[in-house]
Amino acid sequence: MSRRVGICAVAQSTYEREKWYERFQGMCLEILEPLLEQTGLDFAEDTGINMTVSVSDDVFDARTISDNGMTDVLGGHLRCEEKIAQEGIQAVYYGLAAILSGHQDVVLIIGHCKESQGESRNQATHLAFDPFYTRPVGLDFLAAAGLQARAYQKAKGLTDDQMAQVVVRCREKAAKNPLTQDLAPITAQDVKNSPLLADPIRQLHTYPISDGSVGMILASEERAKKICKNPIWITGVGNCMDSFFMGDRDIASNFALKKAAQKAYKRAGIDNPNGAFDVIEVSDQYAYQQPMWMEGLGLADSGPDWLDRGGPDKDRVNLSGGMLAGNPLLLGGLVRAAEAATQLMGQAGERQVDGAKRALAHGVMGPAGQFHSVLILERD
Amino acid sequence: MTTYDKADYKESFVVKGKLALPYQYFAGRTGSKFLIALRDKKKILGVRCNTCKKVFVPPRQTCEKCFEDLSENWVELSDKGVVTDFTVVRYAEPHQPVKPPYILAMIKLDGADTPFAHIVRGVAPSKMKEGLKVQAQFAKKTTSTIMDIECFRPASGQFELGYSYDELEIGMSASFTKTITETDVYLFAGISGDFNPMHLNEEFAKKTPFGTRIAHGALPQSLIASVLGMKLPGLGTVALEINTRFLGPTYFGDTVTASAEVIEKLEKKRWVRLELRWINQHGKLIGIGDALVIPPAPAG
Repeated sequence: MSRRVGICAVAQSTYEREKWYERFQGMCLEILEPLLEQTGLDFAEDTGINMTVSVSDDVFDARTISDNGMTDVLGGHLRCEEKIAQEGIQAVYYGLAAILSGHQDVVLIIGHCKESQGESRNQATHLAFDPFYTRPVGLDFLAAAGLQARAYQKAKGLTDDQMAQVVVRCREKAAKNPLTQDLAPITAQDVKNSPLLADPIRQLHTYPISDGSVGMILASEERAKKICKNPIWITGVGNCMDSFFMGDRDIASNFALKKAAQKAYKRAGIDNPNGAFDVIEVSDQYAYQQPMWMEGLGLADSGPDWLDRGGPDKDRVNLSGGMLAGNPLLLGGLVRAAEAATQLMGQAGERQVDGAKRALAHGVMGPAGQFHSVLILERD
Repeated sequence: MTTYDKADYKESFVVKGKLALPYQYFAGRTGSKFLIALRDKKKILGVRCNTCKKVFVPPRQTCEKCFEDLSENWVELSDKGVVTDFTVVRYAEPHQPVKPPYILAMIKLDGADTPFAHIVRGVAPSKMKEGLKVQAQFAKKTTSTIMDIECFRPASGQFELGYSYDELEIGMSASFTKTITETDVYLFAGISGDFNPMHLNEEFAKKTPFGTRIAHGALPQSLIASVLGMKLPGLGTVALEINTRFLGPTYFGDTVTASAEVIEKLEKKRWVRLELRWINQHGKLIGIGDALVIPPAPAG
């Protein structure tokens, strides 16, 4: 890449089952204020933030152009603002592109989502399907995940015990992350006793409904070094969108994730990803996805027995608790990127990996992992 | 971290709302042709890419890999196909077409290369398997969507095979019970050609050690066939040997229970030996024996 782009500051709200005390605007203010405070930036066109990329979704917010009633908080009032509604981590790609183009130097990213206000997130994701062929049969992301989980089980032998293990560990890690929901510790038996929702997915295999917001400041190398001491550099990025119809894809094959990862590794100059990362954050919306996405990233080639070999701890995967510890679907990848950057900044508190230098953050959206993004972050 | 007290918010409220917009979705020329054929002719069409040779359902105008125009490459597909993947949906949402639990499956029609999602009915979730052959059941009322196929059901001519060698365990048992009537005996005489008066002539039978007519021995014996062939091991079984020793007579009106129990698995041949017993309504053992069978090969 011709010009380096760095993350200068990160802010996350707590993620809660219901932020009954706050509106979207308040949730974003909770992110904006610490970002301005950490960086000393303002919105002066030439010396401050040039551009905002907001992340929100019309369906989850139940209003179209979901950013337009709150541009004052997003830093977009009377100035440049762009919106991402696909997956939060895309905002990092967008900001990176804007800076690499030379048109912008300092970009603010703020995402919010309040899943608690909708009657059901399944009803929201149902709307992602087409009205002729897939919506009429009742598809939503949970049902699609059930199809994929079973296909992956059949192909790779993932067991109910292994999925339970993923959830138990996630809760242990979440207990060390003050931002996560208040999730009670559970045993593998509790997980296996929880009711099936879409076989083989059980209730406790699914990410909890959550409200929260997250943001960061990106800047060109020159500006980043003036804003903070140790910017976190974006060294690799890749994404891939698979076919829309699930029947056109091999849903057990990780096709799109493999392509996204290859692009990101190539850009970051990584020949062998195994052992290349000090911290890894993957978007495990459902328990089966943690080993599956790790396999797709080329970091668990043997499949689910990576779990039995202590892979998640050895590879330092989702020390934050991951998606299963609860953050909104829309923000999954952006929260992963924020967590990875926080680790590289050495500010991850009890979950900090000493001396972490390189991290991978992953985001996913669409039914059964249709769209994947991989982001590689490093510090000098 | 800030804590929030509900009391401070007691003058706050929420407004109930809904994001809804009546809408007309244009199906396009390709989609319309598919949906009209389904609605009016109960035909399921696909489109073939002549470059990669793939047949796609649902149809689309262009091949996603070869960029070939597929809009004239229609092929008629079978209403039968095979389940490639499935899940059991057990949570309830208003957008579901049937009440959960139900089976949501990916179905690849014969002649197509891409499966598509639909509902499978007529199979218990615990018995559902990938590879099941299914057939479309067309809807009585049209919605001009894929729901003009109401659901898929197991294709006719499909049977559930009995226990395979590996599924059979020593101690497994099954039985069949039937009352043997005068009609059965007369029909059996006709079937076998055995018109022996001890079965058909009461006056003659009075002079035999039994003092009355009795059923042919092979009649109660034959009840074991339904046990071996339809229950244990079940459909697909080949019987190699059935040995019987008759211990007592079957009188007209007797109710006979024929039972079989797995007693030996012959690992080398993958055959199974079963012990056989026939008991009447008084609990009297009227026959014993054994059978040697080849259990059905596992399905798929």
